[in-house]
Amino acid sequence: MMWKERYRIGVDLIDDQHRELFKRLSNFIRVVQNGEPWDEKLDEAKDTLGFMQEYVVYHFEDEERYQREIGYPDYEEHRKIHAGFKAEVDEYVRLMEEEGFSEETMQELAARFMTWLIMHVGRADQRIGEYARSKEG
Amino acid sequence: MKVDHINAFYVAIQEIFKLMLDLDVEKGELRIVEDMVSSKDANVLLGITGDLKGSILFGFPKHMALEMVNIMSGVDMDEIDTFVSSALGEVVNIIGGNALTSLSNYDYICNMAPPQIIVGKYKSISMASERSLLIPLETEIGKFDVNVFLAEAKNIN
Ligand SMILES: [Fe+2]
Repeated sequence: MMWKERYRIGVDLIDDQHRELFKRLSNFIRVVQNGEPWDEKLDEAKDTLGFMQEYVVYHFEDEERYQREIGYPDYEEHRKIHAGFKAEVDEYVRLMEEEGFSEETMQELAARFMTWLIMHVGRADQRIGEYARSKEG
Repeated sequence: MKVDHINAFYVAIQEIFKLMLDLDVEKGELRIVEDMVSSKDANVLLGITGDLKGSILFGFPKHMALEMVNIMSGVDMDEIDTFVSSALGEVVNIIGGNALTSLSNYDYICNMAPPQIIVGKYKSISMASERSLLIPLETEIGKFDVNVFLAEAKNIN
């Protein structure tokens, strides 16, 4: 279980989506790391990666919309961080489409995705919740 | 090497270990060592340039490296593969980034090269004949070392 209660920002829509994102990431990692021969699980690894990538786009859009709605002051900077990460993942996938989906590159991407998401939800996204609470307060 | 420089890294280690791994980190007795050697199973080297120049070398024993990645991923690991070594490299990279941000508050502007990961090799790293500082660190999942060598490239004050 990758999701932790302390990742909550106190906004149900965002928290539910974060939990779903961690779930899809966890599925991807489990396939990549399950020890089965790479050629036998390649399709499943690609599927779980696509499933995760798809949700990242959907979630970033919703989270950015929420930030605009509450007038989050760091919206522009946060949007750039999202766009930068999405571009990085897209570039990994583009490269693998060209050079083949190697186990090593998929493991590298899984590690990068994991550490990025833990830091982003654990720190950057927490500030959205703090701002939302300060407005209500 | 000033206490502030060392401390910037120690504080960043504590903060990131807590945030990413839910672990507290205790510092042991600092030692001066003649050589920077990657003697552990998983080693991550950070090159620093700018107002401070040098290297920071993190060394983790295998069981600890695997446990760290288990904490983050929720999946049991049994070898230091690309997933494990990349994840360790990322954690160290984030620590380095945090430390450089706090050093910039003391007007030391530095850059960092992408982390270099050295798995299971005994290799001497230091290029200069300079001594480095070894910081032994301890968590509830194991002990690890951080070697710091930083020289001032300019004089402040
Ligand atoms: Fe975000």
